[in-house]
Amino acid sequence: MPPRYYERDTSFIPAHDQPSTLLDLMLGRRIDADRALRGSGLFYDDILTGRRSISPQQYLALVDNARRLLPGEDGSFLFGQRIWPGHYGAASQALRHAATVRDALDLLARRHALLSPLATPRLWRDDRYVWLYWTDGCGAAPQWRFLAEAACAGVVALCREISGQRLPWEFFFRHERPRHVEQYWVHLGRELRFAQPLDLMRLPRHCELQACPVALPTVAQVAAQQSEEQAQALGADASFLDRVYDHLRERVCEAPSLEQVAQAFGVSPATLKRKLGKHGTGFQEQYDQVRMHVALQLFLVRGCNNEQVADYLHFHDAANFRRSFKRWTGHAPSALRPALEGAGNRA
Amino acid sequence: MKAALSSRPMTDRLAPTAPGLRAQAYANLHRHMWKLLALLACANAGLLAYLGAGAPKPWAEIDWMDVAGEGGSALFALVWFAMLLKARPAGRVTNLLALGLGCIFFSLWMDVLDEFIALPDAWVWDNWLESGPMPLGWLTVTIGLYHWHQEQLAINAQMEKRESLFREHRLFDALTPLARADYLRRQLDMALAQSRRDRQPLSLVAVDLDGFGAINRRYGPEEGDAVLLAVSQLLLLNLRAQDLLCRLAGDRFVVLLPHTGEAQAWRMADELRASVRHLAHRTREHGERLHLRAAVSVVMAVRESGEELLDRLNHSFLADGEPVPALA
Repeated sequence: MPPRYYERDTSFIPAHDQPSTLLDLMLGRRIDADRALRGSGLFYDDILTGRRSISPQQYLALVDNARRLLPGEDGSFLFGQRIWPGHYGAASQALRHAATVRDALDLLARRHALLSPLATPRLWRDDRYVWLYWTDGCGAAPQWRFLAEAACAGVVALCREISGQRLPWEFFFRHERPRHVEQYWVHLGRELRFAQPLDLMRLPRHCELQACPVALPTVAQVAAQQSEEQAQALGADASFLDRVYDHLRERVCEAPSLEQVAQAFGVSPATLKRKLGKHGTGFQEQYDQVRMHVALQLFLVRGCNNEQVADYLHFHDAANFRRSFKRWTGHAPSALRPALEGAGNRA
Repeated sequence: MKAALSSRPMTDRLAPTAPGLRAQAYANLHRHMWKLLALLACANAGLLAYLGAGAPKPWAEIDWMDVAGEGGSALFALVWFAMLLKARPAGRVTNLLALGLGCIFFSLWMDVLDEFIALPDAWVWDNWLESGPMPLGWLTVTIGLYHWHQEQLAINAQMEKRESLFREHRLFDALTPLARADYLRRQLDMALAQSRRDRQPLSLVAVDLDGFGAINRRYGPEEGDAVLLAVSQLLLLNLRAQDLLCRLAGDRFVVLLPHTGEAQAWRMADELRASVRHLAHRTREHGERLHLRAAVSVVMAVRESGEELLDRLNHSFLADGEPVPALA
């Protein structure tokens, strides 16, 4: 069976879809097409043929140009507001006519190879909130903040369009409070916290369950099924890093080793290491990230205490876990939990 | 590819963005081309006159120190001349400055040539050519600078309500003719200090367009940009001379109102809101009337920093002016 994942250098993203949205934003701001495409290995004429596929790496080069060339600090937010529902065939149609915000978010997570190939959306739900957080699917370190801002602005704009109202999303960002925080106020909303362990947004559950006024549930359902075929034609529905994340997430209780993971992926440990290195990361970093996310999920969604989480993650004792947690996030669990759990307060 | 790009309907954009201005600068240079050519023709004529009258000096007689000093000065005069033509639109002030700098360059150029070409003693014109244009050039540049000052005063009057106290072009907005949030922050800190010294109130008004995202989606981002431009001009018309209007981000504008209490600020905010509602903006494509609405919010400074005040202003907005769904 061929690998059902895409890597940083797999060409599968239609250049005339999302990359063109970004390109048009730059052209609209009078940035020359040659400068906008520099370093991406793409030519404007190639895109116009409508048959060119590009790799995440090329898309990231374009994002990098946008980050540097777009005037003002709102480039990422403007891009985010234009990406969804978008014009990506059945997947976009299913988003546009989703019966509820919940359906749209589920589809976004399930079809992210089509809808968000660089930033992977992941969902948790508990009885109070739906939590949506973003992981780096293609090793986008320098461009990550642009992507995270765009992704959050995109979800806000999408929800607004299909639900007809601005939903009370709250935001948690890994980076420090930026100088241009006014862009966040205007494009995202007022509930913002910075210097958090992950890029996360959350919404009260009842908001995602309201029926959307523009919904066409049957159309959306059929389109969602068709997007399955669309994803199959793409050849992959998740990135290599997504697959590693999912694999580690499933087996986090068994404390899997590099060798075991390599075996599960059908490659040698050296190849696994090389592939991780290609995406700018390493096994321990990925494993730590998964453990940190699981720990947060257990805290926030299940309401576990330190001892239970330490036990679940195979730590020797709670003190050991606290130390590791502090290393992953820079904060002790006791310092983070009030900020993430508290409702309605802000940075 | 160029053909594909130039066919894009971008030529009639209202506000020149930074790259657009760059293109304009080259157009300026093109328009002034005859000035540059005239100067080069003069320099060439001087060279030919010297060569016709004198003979090249032998290598050993050339004083390289003089060549470096005079040549370097001439080069800088030429660079200033080119930068001036590139930066400024045609007009009286530009002509005066260009003429003055041209004279200075010519004078220095003849000085340099003098180092390479030995002229017969009987030839007295060289002194005139080297020293004559110099004082004339300085005089013309001085007159030009005086008129530039007058011109600047006229431009300052046009920038009223969009700029105060200090200038920093790097903080101008790329889209609207307003300054950005960083400029507002700096002005706000200065204005807060001033208001404390004068024991006068200071208020901020924020104006946020409703449904701006829908306009962008329905009519395209170009139309959204046009709306922002129209609204920024409209808001300017409704302000007093001492007020300062900035675009904070996206579709949110902030007005800094010195010497203004909260009640008066609310009155002005309501007037701004009413003016946006009554604006008959028509789309550029089909002339369709857009009905715009804005939400406003007001804060008055009380013993807090500029950043805290801005924070409070933006948090006093309910999300986009629309009701947040009630908790179940």
